Amino acid sequence: MTPVLRSDGLTKRYGRRPALTEATLSIPAGRIVGLVGPNGAGKSTLLNLTSGIIAPTAGTIEVLGARPAASATQLAKVAFVAQDTPVYAGLSVADHLRLGARLNPKWDAALARRRVEQVGLDPAQKAGRLSGGQRAQLALTLAAAKRPQLLIFDEPVAALDPLARRAFLQSLMEFVAELEVTVILSSHLLADLERVCDHLVVLAGSRVQLVGDVEDLLDVHKRVIGARGELDALPPGIEVIQADHTTRQSTLVVRDTTGVLAQLVPAADVERIDLEDMVLAYLTRAARVTAGAPIRGYAEQPLEAQR
Amino acid sequence: MIWLTWRQFRGQALIALAALAALTVFLVLLGLRIRDTYAAYVTDCAAACSLSSARDAMEDAHFGPLLLSGLLVVLVPALIGAFWGAPLVSREIETGTHRLVWSQSITRTRWLAVKLTFVTLAGIALAAALSLLLTWAASPYDELLAGRFDPLLFPTRNIVPLGYAAFAVTAGTAIGLLTRRAIPAMAITLAVFAVLQILVPTAIRPHLRPAVTESVAFTPDTRVTEFSAGNSEGGGVTINGYQGTIPGAWMMSNRVPLFDASGEQVTRGELGDCLTGELDRDMACLAQMNLHFTVKYQPANRYWTFQWLEFGGYLLLGGALAAFAFWHIRRGLS
Repeated sequence: MTPVLRSDGLTKRYGRRPALTEATLSIPAGRIVGLVGPNGAGKSTLLNLTSGIIAPTAGTIEVLGARPAASATQLAKVAFVAQDTPVYAGLSVADHLRLGARLNPKWDAALARRRVEQVGLDPAQKAGRLSGGQRAQLALTLAAAKRPQLLIFDEPVAALDPLARRAFLQSLMEFVAELEVTVILSSHLLADLERVCDHLVVLAGSRVQLVGDVEDLLDVHKRVIGARGELDALPPGIEVIQADHTTRQSTLVVRDTTGVLAQLVPAADVERIDLEDMVLAYLTRAARVTAGAPIRGYAEQPLEAQR
Repeated sequence: MIWLTWRQFRGQALIALAALAALTVFLVLLGLRIRDTYAAYVTDCAAACSLSSARDAMEDAHFGPLLLSGLLVVLVPALIGAFWGAPLVSREIETGTHRLVWSQSITRTRWLAVKLTFVTLAGIALAAALSLLLTWAASPYDELLAGRFDPLLFPTRNIVPLGYAAFAVTAGTAIGLLTRRAIPAMAITLAVFAVLQILVPTAIRPHLRPAVTESVAFTPDTRVTEFSAGNSEGGGVTINGYQGTIPGAWMMSNRVPLFDASGEQVTRGELGDCLTGELDRDMACLAQMNLHFTVKYQPANRYWTFQWLEFGGYLLLGGALAAFAFWHIRRGLS
């Protein structure tokens, strides 16, 4: 099965500032992909590249087997809801649906109408006067009624209050179940995505830090606790993502793809790790790698907030 | 896409139509009054009729309103460029809606093509309506005063305003793509338009065709509006305002030196008694002295050549800017 998104060395620079550096990804179809990372990590850049709004500086990207936005057919397969859910302030809700109907050959008018009724949008209302939550619902309706194979959301819930956030994510899940689409959605808060996504991409400092199915990732990542010094020499195949030491004890977050860990360390010293701790371990490592320059926005908005 | 373009544009279009309706009434009334003047002094003239008195009457009555209307005919393309062209893409980028509309199942090339074509045609239509009305209203005036080539009149009549409008819209659009902000794009578009409106008539239009150079003998029939000479005895004498045998021509220089038979510029000292300051007497006096002068001009029958050349030039420039806009938008916004 062709991956929905395949990129190779995908790079975007603004002047000399890298926004995305050598992202090589292959995302399988049928997933709900969470794209997580602190602000400024390159999430929007990756999503704008995926939808073809911007063009890469270097590297290649293929979405559903073709260059993004290469043709009307290609555009019809991908729906993109950009950050801050832009809508035409002067156009009414009904105008937006009409816009969708006129510009999309596979437009599902019944679905759009039903959604607008369900979430209680007044068709005569100007989009500029909608609340953030209503605007997000309108954007979601536009994107879904297009009947795409891939739905992309850039920080869809960032501007929403907790109630609207929950309502939006619920609407999204209903759509996904109904439409059988692949979804990519980004957030700087893992908590937003944890419940809905089954595939994860972690971005930090313009680079991909971690990518994979959530189940697989949780299977191979472990927290290991041992006496100080005991865990210093681990065999190849076990990658240490994060290490915390006290005077007597070391706590490691490791990635063990080979399964050798079980033979080295007593089972009692190995813990399962939850998604959040795993992601945090990668982000902490990334922050350290970006020597001296902590990743912008990370300190102010740690991932455990919003729990 | 045409629906969306119209939906986004209709507010501006309605404002333009309202303005056009008001201007139509004004220009039709002006045209009728000009025809009244023409009838009174030319066709129905009963007594003491002369071409010069008709010209004077016409100019006295209608110069001001026609000049202002002419300014308006040039101003409208500038405004079209600033208010229709410049925000066409930049406003979308500014508000982020480009990311909404570029995610629909329509390529951005087609999106731009429809928007640009639609608004350019609307701009051309508006400029055409105004130009046509003014050209009609002013036609007796223009015919009588034979001044269509005048830099103040030339850009306000016939087809050149259409070229200005086409250029203004595409220039505004292309500039908006570069600035990505509407207000700077509007300001730059206005500035570019103004610079061209000064540059073209002074530096480009006179050279669209090589000027006709003609040596004219100063005869008793020669009519000028002024003589001037340096204050000293040796100051060269020039004449000003010769129209003579080339009505409707566009004189490249109003002030030309006066030469004697040997080809030397005559001086105040040599002409002495002929420069009293009383024009008719001086002209008669000078006519006896076997003088000549050289005029450079664009003959009146080149008027349409110049109209087409300037119209075509602006159209080409607009086309080049449109091509740039398509190239730029296809390359993907950075």
